[in-house]
Amino acid sequence: MGKKGRDAGIFLVACICGIASGMFGIGGGVLLVPLLGLLFGFSQHRAQGTSLVALIPPTGVLALMAYAREGFVSWNTGLSLIPGVFLGGILGGRLAERLQPRRMRQVFAGVLFALGAWQAFSAWWR
Amino acid sequence: MTLIILLLGLGVGVLVGLLGIGGGVVLVPAMVYLLGMDQHLAQGTSLFILLPPIGLGALREYWKQGQVDLRPGTLCALGMLLGAYGGSLVALPLASRHLKGLFGCFLVLSAILLWRKGQLEDGFAAAKGESARG
Repeated sequence: MGKKGRDAGIFLVACICGIASGMFGIGGGVLLVPLLGLLFGFSQHRAQGTSLVALIPPTGVLALMAYAREGFVSWNTGLSLIPGVFLGGILGGRLAERLQPRRMRQVFAGVLFALGAWQAFSAWWR
Repeated sequence: MTLIILLLGLGVGVLVGLLGIGGGVVLVPAMVYLLGMDQHLAQGTSLFILLPPIGLGALREYWKQGQVDLRPGTLCALGMLLGAYGGSLVALPLASRHLKGLFGCFLVLSAILLWRKGQLEDGFAAAKGESARG
């Protein structure tokens, strides 16, 4: 794979992560990090650092405007969540340097799996 | 209630730095279940929280360690900007119930991807260990 081909591949993967981001109101890093590693051979720390770069510009701004037009944004709750997320991010970044993140990630994957299964179940079968 | 919200933010932030993700994947179900929000409202609010560069502090820590690749990062940002708009056009007309169910399926898929990545690394580490011994 040439450099151009790699760039195009990364861009394509990012578009797919973006679609998930707009559909589910998330950042998209949860998909981008494993895909950068699995498809393009990024090390875990490098994939995480690179994903954070992609999350700095307001990539969700167009999607946010679409949600806001329909009245689907709670501005107050959002404002009270922002400072905590920012400070916690610094803390987590420091922790990540020291921890072996593999175990941590597997625990997180387990939690996500349970949460997702529960959510799908409660939406469709209850 | 405000305290719960502040603590929730802090907890999600630690995950942002630790895993290099935006945090929305945790924020959305937390707002649905802890704060009793509707699925669409939780997703819109999550997008709002992700608007300011909340990962900047975490990024600085990674930057100091030289663990940042700017060029693919920029490409990803561009792709996600366009993709996210497309995704929102898909999600908005859906019934909240179906969106919630799809979100659940998406979480399960992400969990499998994250888990598989961990296993691959275990494989690499084992191979390295063997070649070092041999």
